[in-house]
Amino acid sequence: MNVADLVFSMLAISALLSVAATVLAVQAKDLLKAIVFSAMQSVAYTLMYFLLMAPDIVLVYAAVAVGIYPLALVLLIKKVGRYEV
Amino acid sequence: MWRDIAFALALILAIIALAYATTLRGLGPLPPDNLRNLAIAYLKTTYNPFKPLFTAMAPEAVTAIIWDYRGLDTLFETVVFYGAIIAALTLYREVYKERDVLPLRGLSLIVKRSTAVISIAILSVAAATALHGHLTPGGGFQAGAIAAVAPLVILVVFSKIFLESRGVQYTKLLTLRNLGLLGIGLTAIALILVGLALGSNAFIFQNQAKELARLSYPSKALDVPLGGSLWFFNLFEAIAVAAGFTLVFMVLMSSEELAKREVVGEEHGY
Repeated sequence: MNVADLVFSMLAISALLSVAATVLAVQAKDLLKAIVFSAMQSVAYTLMYFLLMAPDIVLVYAAVAVGIYPLALVLLIKKVGRYEV
Repeated sequence: MWRDIAFALALILAIIALAYATTLRGLGPLPPDNLRNLAIAYLKTTYNPFKPLFTAMAPEAVTAIIWDYRGLDTLFETVVFYGAIIAALTLYREVYKERDVLPLRGLSLIVKRSTAVISIAILSVAAATALHGHLTPGGGFQAGAIAAVAPLVILVVFSKIFLESRGVQYTKLLTLRNLGLLGIGLTAIALILVGLALGSNAFIFQNQAKELARLSYPSKALDVPLGGSLWFFNLFEAIAVAAGFTLVFMVLMSSEELAKREVVGEEHGY
């Protein structure tokens, strides 16, 4: 197995992981869980950006998608309530 | 149950179909394995001391493209970002200057201590990303976004009052943000000002010397490549982005008491 195959298989695994996390985030009734799943999807995307050799995007994507965006959404949930009815 | 399984199967089928179509070039040609001409042109001129009239003198091609080759585009991106921040602040225009009133205790001591340690680590990573942005992947916006995570986590774990009592206040952040923007503007036109004083030509957003304008930013500092204006742009952009993000989060994290004052009187139509 050469390096390119390894990179492509890791890309495929993180892409599948991101799809699963997205589905779970859409289906979750507990919005706090939905945010965690959304952050999981972002982590998979961060790995994909890194494997596609875009480390500049990785730096800003990790900070925004795993740090700032979930925290802002948690704030929103604190105002509007945790469970979807 | 069966609905979920059918949904998962449909999703897997769709992904496999898309992947198969892409590999068979059904969605357009695949990118070639070798380098394209545009990439070769950038790689040949980004750091090339033997072609002083064409190079950006920065080893990091992405930062060189963002702040040198297409610097004016990045300036307008920055303008859009600050427009968004100003719009967010306008929503809270009644209360954004006031200090918070509700005393909060924050989370437990363990969380507070670990957050204090991690915040310093986050800020160090941000500083490294900004100051080495012309050597390694990174740059101004990335560094600003990373640095903004630290005050955001502190806001959640400690409280807004804590941050304000330690000196992180609206006016100071606004001053910091304006200094960053002023720095970006001055870096863009500094060579023109020097050119006026020396009586020679210079372009807006000029980094290294060109055929018609021989002025240039220093390309090295203490034997380390400086990338000319890129270092200054990265530094000021990081300051401005970090202060702007922190500003918005401070306002968004206002307590209910303060935020309610913003919507008072809405039922009367004013």
